[in-house]
Amino acid sequence: MKRDYWIYGGMGVMALVGIWVLFVGLPRWYPSEGVPTPTNEAAGRTTDDELVAATLFYISDDGMRLVGFERRLVQHADPAVQGRIILEAQLAEPPASLLSPIPPGTELRAFYLSDQDAFVDLSAEVTLGHSGGSLEELFTVYAIVNAVTTNIPAINAVQILVDGKEVDTLVGHVDLQHPLELNMQWVADPDTDATQSNPVDQTDQL
Amino acid sequence: MTGRLLVACCLVCLATGSPHSFPDDPLTLVTPQDRRPLPTVRFDGRRLVAVSELATPFGLTIADVRQPGRLTLMREDRIIVLTANEGLVSVAGQLVALASPPLERDGNWYVPIDFIGRALALVRDEPLELRPRSGLVLLGAVRVPQVVARYQRAGRRSRLRLMITPQTEHVIEQSANRLLITLDADALDLVLRDMRPDALVADIRAVDGRPALAIELRDGFGSFSATTEPALGGAVELIIDLQPRPVSTTRAAPSPTPPPGSRGGAGARPLAGPGTGPAALIPGETVGDAMLPLMAELAPPRRIRAIAIDAGHGGDDVGTRGPDGALEKDVTLAVAQRLRNRIESELGLRVVLTRTGDSAVSLDERAAIANNDRADLFISLHTNASVREAVIGAEVFYLSLAEYGEEAREAGFTGQLVPTVGGGSRVLDIVPWEMAQLRHVDHSARWAQTVADELSRRVPMSPRGLQQAPFRVLVGANMPAVVVEMGFISNPDQEAQLTSATFQSAIVSGLLQGIIRYRDEVEHETQPLDAGSPDGSGRIP
Repeated sequence: MKRDYWIYGGMGVMALVGIWVLFVGLPRWYPSEGVPTPTNEAAGRTTDDELVAATLFYISDDGMRLVGFERRLVQHADPAVQGRIILEAQLAEPPASLLSPIPPGTELRAFYLSDQDAFVDLSAEVTLGHSGGSLEELFTVYAIVNAVTTNIPAINAVQILVDGKEVDTLVGHVDLQHPLELNMQWVADPDTDATQSNPVDQTDQL
Repeated sequence: MTGRLLVACCLVCLATGSPHSFPDDPLTLVTPQDRRPLPTVRFDGRRLVAVSELATPFGLTIADVRQPGRLTLMREDRIIVLTANEGLVSVAGQLVALASPPLERDGNWYVPIDFIGRALALVRDEPLELRPRSGLVLLGAVRVPQVVARYQRAGRRSRLRLMITPQTEHVIEQSANRLLITLDADALDLVLRDMRPDALVADIRAVDGRPALAIELRDGFGSFSATTEPALGGAVELIIDLQPRPVSTTRAAPSPTPPPGSRGGAGARPLAGPGTGPAALIPGETVGDAMLPLMAELAPPRRIRAIAIDAGHGGDDVGTRGPDGALEKDVTLAVAQRLRNRIESELGLRVVLTRTGDSAVSLDERAAIANNDRADLFISLHTNASVREAVIGAEVFYLSLAEYGEEAREAGFTGQLVPTVGGGSRVLDIVPWEMAQLRHVDHSARWAQTVADELSRRVPMSPRGLQQAPFRVLVGANMPAVVVEMGFISNPDQEAQLTSATFQSAIVSGLLQGIIRYRDEVEHETQPLDAGSPDGSGRIP
């Protein structure tokens, strides 16, 4: 009878060890190689060497322009991964006092490269949550296009997809039937535009 | 045996695994004092410059710190650290991304050419700029306008368009077989597109060592006329029309010789000499076929007979929505109907509406309706919205070309021989949908400016009242076309205005006057100028 207790006890200990190995040990020993997420340097998890300055775009105080805003993001040697990191930061909450040109709830479904063109696949919230104005649509489109092309010189142009499909426009104005190149027409010039109060040399970290 | 030798060579090359570098076109360093070449090499498809070539002209010191795979450069107290095969360099404490990593080969260091504008500019006190398309490196206070030249061919005539940014004074001089355009600058940042020799022009090229552009002419060249027009962003567009020698006229035209050394700038008058261009045609004269293609392809419509009005959105697509619930689709339809009534009653022109009720119409279908009904002008009406409630004002847009590539543009306007009723054949221009607006964009710009002017006299305008944008509804319109954003419905005051009869009437008056002014201008231009000029010479005083 006493021997049975030892057998059952041993089996229980082995089961607990197996569970620990499966759910704790293996994930620690073989960490996921998925896309790195933006890292908060202030939390002490990264060093300066792992961060890179990236310019993201938000709506200016007067609502008439985009303004560049520098943030420090995790750097990655692969442009496809770096593009994803930049876009996830662009889609995240904007800095205080600035407004995001991307409708809330918009998610990045996919980001991939073909030669020098990037394809940005966004969730349907980018159209469903949009104000519908042409100026806002220009801001939405060129915040995405410029965030990618400004920060990753290897990428020449960006085509925006919605829910995995090509679209004519987001909300009825800007032609999205082909990749768009960097266009700073909608971005405030920090040298000449005195009205914008959030120049690119302000920095923030994600 | 030879095959084996080749295979062996290939294997050796693969084994070494290091592609060779080849000399590439040098960059040109422009300073207030002089110009000098900066040699570059092409390595594995990348254009690089040796760090040793940059040291002297940019005052860099290569630190004698021997660390494998690292190079430290100093400019006074500012330090640049390069790491081999690492695309980020440290410049005065900042990380800067380069197009490709620095390269160390046989003890020599190479950097991509964008290192000059991205990294070196941060350690220099004076302005430093790389213009990669023209291969210029600008150091210090130098005046180097960008000149984007486009050469277009229409029948036997040609047009050279020079977009000069920023606006710069210029002089055009004509010698025996050359037109020389000299700019008041230290150098030219010239981008030349679409240049193919033809019967009038043998070559267009920058003049070595001078801020000038030379057009080498052929014997078929007869005369030229030049105009300048202000462009967006402080630029000016210089348009030079080149005409052939008259082939067959019943009366010989006088020798066309524009005044040598004519000086121009933004707003300069046309430099048409007597007998130049369509402006010099005399009624009753028979003119050679050589004159016809230009009228068909470059000239604006002779008559404005029909206007297409597009009420934006409709059906399930309500467009923007005001804080009190006003819908863009209702405002645009109301204004479209008012405008139609005014045009029909006051101008007697035919009006095409892309929708007459609350129905959904796709963007391409709207342009197709205008094309199929042979409208001469297309206007798409919208109301805007902003997340900033304070934003107000009307805006007028015409199509921007930057988003449509050179290859696509060249693909347009291909002639196809098609049979005609009764025998024979004719050449038909097949224009891809996406290229339809491109041939009209100059006139769209002009009409947009006119509409913006007229609206600004009647309703509040946005600070950016006239703009270019890649709007889909404009792409397929085969006529001058504009989008008018009448105001920001997201602003409570503007919402009330946009739904009021008074404000809508003011908008309609501005649009109507814009149509009248544009119609008068283009129809006047297609008439013989001698009829209106005091001396009958066709000169514009």
